[in-house]
Amino acid sequence: MKMNPVYKREITVSSRSFRLALILVLFNCILALVVLLNMYSVVEQVKMTAEIQYSSFINIYAFVAVVEFVMLMFIMPALTAASVSGERERQTLDLLLTTTLKPWEIIWGKLMASFGTMFLMVMSSFPLIFVSFVYGGVTAYDIFILLLCYLSVALLCGSMGICFSSIFKRSTIATVVSYGVLVMIAAGTYAVNMFALSIARLNVVNTYASSVSGIADQANSGPFLYLLLLNPVATFYVMINSQAGDNQVLKSLNSWFGPHPQNGIMKHWVVLSIFIQLLLAAIFLFTAVRAISPTKRKRMNK
Amino acid sequence: MLEIKNLWKKFGKFHALNGLDIMIPQGSLYGFVGPNGAGKTTTIKIMTGLLSADSGQVLINGRDVTGGLEDLKLSIGYVPDFFGVYDNLKVNEYMEFFASCYGLDGLKARNRYMTLLEQVGLEDKCNFYVDSLSRGMKQRLCLARALIHDPLLLVLDEPASGLDPRTRFEFKEILKDLKEQGKTIFISSHVLSELSELCTDIGIIDQGKMVLGGSIEEILHRVNATNPLIIAILGEKERALTILKSQPCVQTIAVKDQDIRVNFIGDEQDEALLLQQLVDADVMVRGFYREQGSLETLFMQITDHDKEKAVLVHENEPGL
Repeated sequence: MKMNPVYKREITVSSRSFRLALILVLFNCILALVVLLNMYSVVEQVKMTAEIQYSSFINIYAFVAVVEFVMLMFIMPALTAASVSGERERQTLDLLLTTTLKPWEIIWGKLMASFGTMFLMVMSSFPLIFVSFVYGGVTAYDIFILLLCYLSVALLCGSMGICFSSIFKRSTIATVVSYGVLVMIAAGTYAVNMFALSIARLNVVNTYASSVSGIADQANSGPFLYLLLLNPVATFYVMINSQAGDNQVLKSLNSWFGPHPQNGIMKHWVVLSIFIQLLLAAIFLFTAVRAISPTKRKRMNK
Repeated sequence: MLEIKNLWKKFGKFHALNGLDIMIPQGSLYGFVGPNGAGKTTTIKIMTGLLSADSGQVLINGRDVTGGLEDLKLSIGYVPDFFGVYDNLKVNEYMEFFASCYGLDGLKARNRYMTLLEQVGLEDKCNFYVDSLSRGMKQRLCLARALIHDPLLLVLDEPASGLDPRTRFEFKEILKDLKEQGKTIFISSHVLSELSELCTDIGIIDQGKMVLGGSIEEILHRVNATNPLIIAILGEKERALTILKSQPCVQTIAVKDQDIRVNFIGDEQDEALLLQQLVDADVMVRGFYREQGSLETLFMQITDHDKEKAVLVHENEPGL
């Protein structure tokens, strides 16, 4: 099969750059520090109490997975936000567009290149995650699901970065907007739910006699909860909670935003949210292709 | 070879192209000139598929390629006024990359880019990083890059900008070689003196319209025909002036040292008759020629809108 030329060039250039090596070293150093400190604290606890809590070792896995997830979520926009705008700044985008290469091939090549970097980062960190295998409790299937979750968040964040990189002329603006939208999705949906929950609690307290104990606990964030389907953090939270022993999706989210009725969406939360996030990524990629297509693009922002 | 018919392009309220027509003959070296904002870049972007026109046609060898970008891209090689190079990429990798963008790979691509690098004199720079090359070398590399898919037409936008005289000369020589090999070349430039000595055809665009186009010889001949006649006389000038004053084709006469500058509206035959009359009257004619016109003069005349406006104001004044 013929290799995408943009992908081939990107990996040639990035393999020569110091940046990739630096990202890999820093990424793994942070993870290693987290793993080793966590292990140290568990072992010290065992020494102090003479009680071995095997759930602590599972917590190492969960903790490392969370740190890696957060780092991926914030590294992907940085890797992709300059991809197309960088071509524009180097004035090579017009050259690419005068070749027979299709705009979607350019975008695909860029996405694949950032995915390659992400994959390298994830794979290089797996020995650290495998530390938890020493004590058991984590299956290969769990790791597979974790990898899928990483891929879905990388696709969402990567396509978002490429989209804004295609829309905006300057890399700095594209980077700022990418992070802004990411924070809006990750923290914004959470904030909306928290706000809805606090309003609901207030109403419940005002409506019923405040003396009825525990009545405020029945308040929930209502339909705003489904906004969290867009949020990769919520997806990951639910997934890692189920892997760490608590298999109830409902319980995970309800502990945050109040009790919600069990329904089909709640039952298939992880699959559904991954599907919606992939759909969102597809919309971002489609917008990016349109933004660089010479016959379709409108005037770009400065 | 390439024909542009009635091309229109509007950006908001600004009309960049107003029914532009261009005809680029096969094997020609076509110079495309015009003042800033005349619509040169817009035309080039439409020709190279980087912009779509509001209406009009782009025909290559009689085939309409306005809707089919693939055909257009395969037929045209584009050298912009910037280098467009990548850091951390070697010359051979750069060429290989663009070859693969046109679907060429393997040995075929290698043979093709090696031939081109040899043609532009960069065969010994194959393993050099592109960003370590000099401006002239980068420009030659860009030219080789634009030729990787063996296009019918090469479009160059201000190719000599920022180059030293020697590099310019070398670049011109490469273009001449390419023309001899049968390539059709379209150059947009502000350096008119270079275009007049390099190009076979020329088109002058102003306010989105082609105001003058044709072969450079023909155009310069037309310019020369309207230029003053210079008659260099040895000795007595009175007799010559008497003859000139009696000529109906002579409009004005100015004397400077031994030269007489005559605004003569006659054709080549009238010129010959005048010369014969002067010789018959024993006037010692040392020189008899039309003042040579230049592309610069022509360009200035055509694109001088202040002068046009002045004439219009003058014509509209009451009582005149």
